Amino acid sequence: MFDEARSPAEIPTTDGVAEQVRPKSVPAELSFGPLEKIHVFWLAGMSCDGCTIAVAGATNPPLESLLTGVITGLPQVILHHPVLAVEAGKDFVENFYMAERGELDAPYVVCYEGSIADERIAAAHGGYWSALGSEHLGGDKHRPIPTTEWLKRLAPGAAAVIAVGTCATWGGIPAAAGNPTNAMGVMDFLGKDYRSTTGLNIINIPGCSPIGDNFTETVGMVLLFLQGIGPLPEFDTLGRPAWLFNDTVHTKCVRGGYYEEGNFTSEYGGKECLVEIGCWGPVVQCNITSRGAINHMGGCMNTGGICIGCTMPGFPDKFAPFYQMAPGSNISSNAVRAYGAAIRRLRRMTMKFQNMEPRWEENEHVPSGWGAFEKPSIATKAIHYLYQKLQYAGTVRPGDHASPQSAKAKGINSPEV
Amino acid sequence: MCFKNLPIEFDSAGKPFLKGGIRDPYSTRNAITSVGEVKQMPYDTVRELLARNGYIKDVDFDPVTRVAGALAFHGVADLENRKFIEARSMATLFRGYELIMQGRDPRDAIFITSRACGVCGGVHSSCAALGIEMAFGITPPPLGIIVRNLLLSLEFLYDNPLHLFLLAGPDYSEMIVKATTPSLWEKAIGTPARNAEHHGYATIGALMTDMNPLSGNLYLEALHMTRVAREAYVVIGGKYPHPETLVPGGVSTTVTLQTFNEIYVRLQQFFDYSKKVVTIWDDLTEFFYTANPEYRKNGMRAASMVDFGIWDDPDVYDATYENCNTWGENRWATPGAVIGGELVTTNLQNINLGIEEFIEHSFYKDWSNGDANGLAHPTDPSGAPLSPYHPWNKETLPSPGGQNWREKYTWATSPRWDRQVFEAGSYARVWNTAAAQKIRPNPFIESTGESLKIRLPKAAKPEMNIEWKIPSVWNTFERNRARAYGVAFTAMAAMNDWMKGLDLLKQGKTAVSTEFEIPKTNRIGVGFWGAGRGFLSHHMELDKGIVTNYQIVTPSTINASPMDAWDKHGPYEEAVLNTPILEEFDKQENYKGIDLLRTLRSFDPCMPCTTHIYAGEHTVVREINTCACGVDG
Repeated sequence: MFDEARSPAEIPTTDGVAEQVRPKSVPAELSFGPLEKIHVFWLAGMSCDGCTIAVAGATNPPLESLLTGVITGLPQVILHHPVLAVEAGKDFVENFYMAERGELDAPYVVCYEGSIADERIAAAHGGYWSALGSEHLGGDKHRPIPTTEWLKRLAPGAAAVIAVGTCATWGGIPAAAGNPTNAMGVMDFLGKDYRSTTGLNIINIPGCSPIGDNFTETVGMVLLFLQGIGPLPEFDTLGRPAWLFNDTVHTKCVRGGYYEEGNFTSEYGGKECLVEIGCWGPVVQCNITSRGAINHMGGCMNTGGICIGCTMPGFPDKFAPFYQMAPGSNISSNAVRAYGAAIRRLRRMTMKFQNMEPRWEENEHVPSGWGAFEKPSIATKAIHYLYQKLQYAGTVRPGDHASPQSAKAKGINSPEV
Repeated sequence: MCFKNLPIEFDSAGKPFLKGGIRDPYSTRNAITSVGEVKQMPYDTVRELLARNGYIKDVDFDPVTRVAGALAFHGVADLENRKFIEARSMATLFRGYELIMQGRDPRDAIFITSRACGVCGGVHSSCAALGIEMAFGITPPPLGIIVRNLLLSLEFLYDNPLHLFLLAGPDYSEMIVKATTPSLWEKAIGTPARNAEHHGYATIGALMTDMNPLSGNLYLEALHMTRVAREAYVVIGGKYPHPETLVPGGVSTTVTLQTFNEIYVRLQQFFDYSKKVVTIWDDLTEFFYTANPEYRKNGMRAASMVDFGIWDDPDVYDATYENCNTWGENRWATPGAVIGGELVTTNLQNINLGIEEFIEHSFYKDWSNGDANGLAHPTDPSGAPLSPYHPWNKETLPSPGGQNWREKYTWATSPRWDRQVFEAGSYARVWNTAAAQKIRPNPFIESTGESLKIRLPKAAKPEMNIEWKIPSVWNTFERNRARAYGVAFTAMAAMNDWMKGLDLLKQGKTAVSTEFEIPKTNRIGVGFWGAGRGFLSHHMELDKGIVTNYQIVTPSTINASPMDAWDKHGPYEEAVLNTPILEEFDKQENYKGIDLLRTLRSFDPCMPCTTHIYAGEHTVVREINTCACGVDG
């Protein structure tokens, strides 16, 4: 029904799912788009399962709502996560083969968690690094099927390929110096010319682990797009959801104010800005300080943790050793320290007046038993006078220009009347 | 004298020394004695039977083959005699964490090793920090220790319910019970639940219905509670998995009263939740035992388990190896090695000395050939003898190759204690603490020697006293039941720590970290800690300020381990070989393997969102995932 508003030509999928599956006749029930369900094949390569755990913690929307199909307008997600099938597993792997042969009853998406192992190295020794399922070669012989091979087999027919987490997007920790597996990310493996059946490039949702909501929200938005309801979500030049990853984590950092006032902690546990104990936030694209880690709670710098750049292609080696101050911070924090010291002083002065009821200021008395009231000095008063001049320049100070009506009203309350 | 097989004796002061007069003391050719050994049929006999008999069936749970979680299981079932005659556990993933750690700044260990496992996402960070502190010679301030204890507890409060209701739980749900044992389901409908007043289900059948994946209230409630615990976790950890606030010498958490408040609002929900969880698993266990006593043999093996203990006492813990026996025994969960049901030691040093790793059936090369000469570390820092197979002497030499049931078939190694097969689990902490009577006085937890008594205070529900008794048989059901009691144990340990934290604030002891410099001399250290599924250690060596060796032993490595140097099976394999096949099936093709799956899952393989619905098949299938950290180091 929402499709009526726009012509199919406006939907930038020329051979996309929306066109292929759109029902021809008017359905009896309200329909929000062509998709009633969509398969998701979750492949775990060299992963720690942390991305899966993070996604299971998502609340916007929650994973179980996607799986049970209770979100109005979104298709039900049929998740094929690597499982121990009760029926000795052949049925589970059969779904992968069906997808490969194009025999599923609905389009499918491939999600890849973990790094891609260079299986050529292991194969040279007759082995593997990372596998999902195995092919029976007869007798006692089995060939474990490398997860990488599954990606290669399923990617061409996928409506979308989503790399989840920093291992899948950029190689991550298994690709760190010293690794024996020549690990890499999905883009490195499939290459820049890869397109899904809906014409999408590889979608990258980085983070180690990613914020669960960043994943479920992106999936939800892509599905709304495929339903013809939502816009094509914007992705940046590295395939990251632009609305989530365009800004640095520093720009919305809860400690950004400390930075701006030149207040830096030098010890772990301090409440001030963390750059001098090794935080890389000012150059890292991430949204955890505004979104939180789970259900809007937590977040690295929110709780005192430094940013180690875990969403970035350079992670981990370009941010190591951790807890070592980034060289760039030397310049910026010293510059901001000079500015911050001055501005902080002026703000404290303003705060002194803003911390007084007008009545207290007039009486030069604060009726609080919690501490002694320090009278502002003459110089402070003078500066504050100028400050207020500026504040009300071109406008009025509340109470200065009382209307006749308010004067009368005030009179009623006056004990002298 | 806790060692039966290792060549270690103790002098009159209890100091360990190497037994004299043995030419090759650590050779794996030396005979050993073991408790509760499980034998399987010879390889060739199994092959003959497979070729001849229709009822001997290969049951490869090879779509288990997943990666990350990466557990595959090969079994041969005798469906007529209803037992397993061959069992092989396979870890199918290698990433090389131990190698990646080499040549790095030791501070990197906290963040890098965390990524070994995203299910037990925070425990590696803490374990690395503990080892670094020992190597650096620094001690965290009391509040830093409390924050770490709370991080661990909150992680378990997400992790163990996840297992009990999202992973193992569905095995006991109406959906699965009805499909695999219809007669048992009929009994369940008619069986009143003993603890109905505590959990609210009048019959076992009603309880099982609410354990149905995705639709059952107990399933959905557990998923919700995992989020509640994680919300509290990220208040002090920043994020989960892979926290951001662990540092050498403490934590970098900014702790205020808001921190304590936001944690407590969530922690407190687990007091009532524990009352429910414990009584549900009591009732389920009793139901299965009564319905068919053969269930006592499901997943049965000798009660041999080892744990280092967790949750440090901020007044005692000093991060030194020299004092590890003292601070170890002061942990809320007492360290211990239980062999064949007997607690043989609570001494952290002895537990450490007893650990060895073997690779006869793993895709690695031997680094030592058992030679005790010229070892990097012939002794520990206190002068006690170390095996060439001890983690401090171990090297990681990966060697991928083809799968061969008689030779090498897994990426997991075979950790053994005193050369005996043991298992790891949250239940090991419950058992050790119950048996040891070492727990320091506190309002909530008491050890009687035979049981662990826990007082769950009033919240919305009234106060409740529960008691976990050391069981006479060790099996699938007792693992799950002890894990359920472990939730209550964890909640009350956390309450103790939460109160201690407030007390520290009262005293003005607000420091959470201590200063350090990275030493340039040769140092060794070890972190003794635990994951939601048990036992965790990081052994490390530093030189000139960089890591020269890093060795991780994890619970799933232990439980999923293959045969060892003496061809003795790992715990999964043993437990499966002891499991009777009680599933009801009309023809062999419909055999699903539920008894084996219950067995494997009782060790706490871990993975969320364990359910999906097959397109067109109406079969609910669950995922199993051993903790990823078990697979490699």
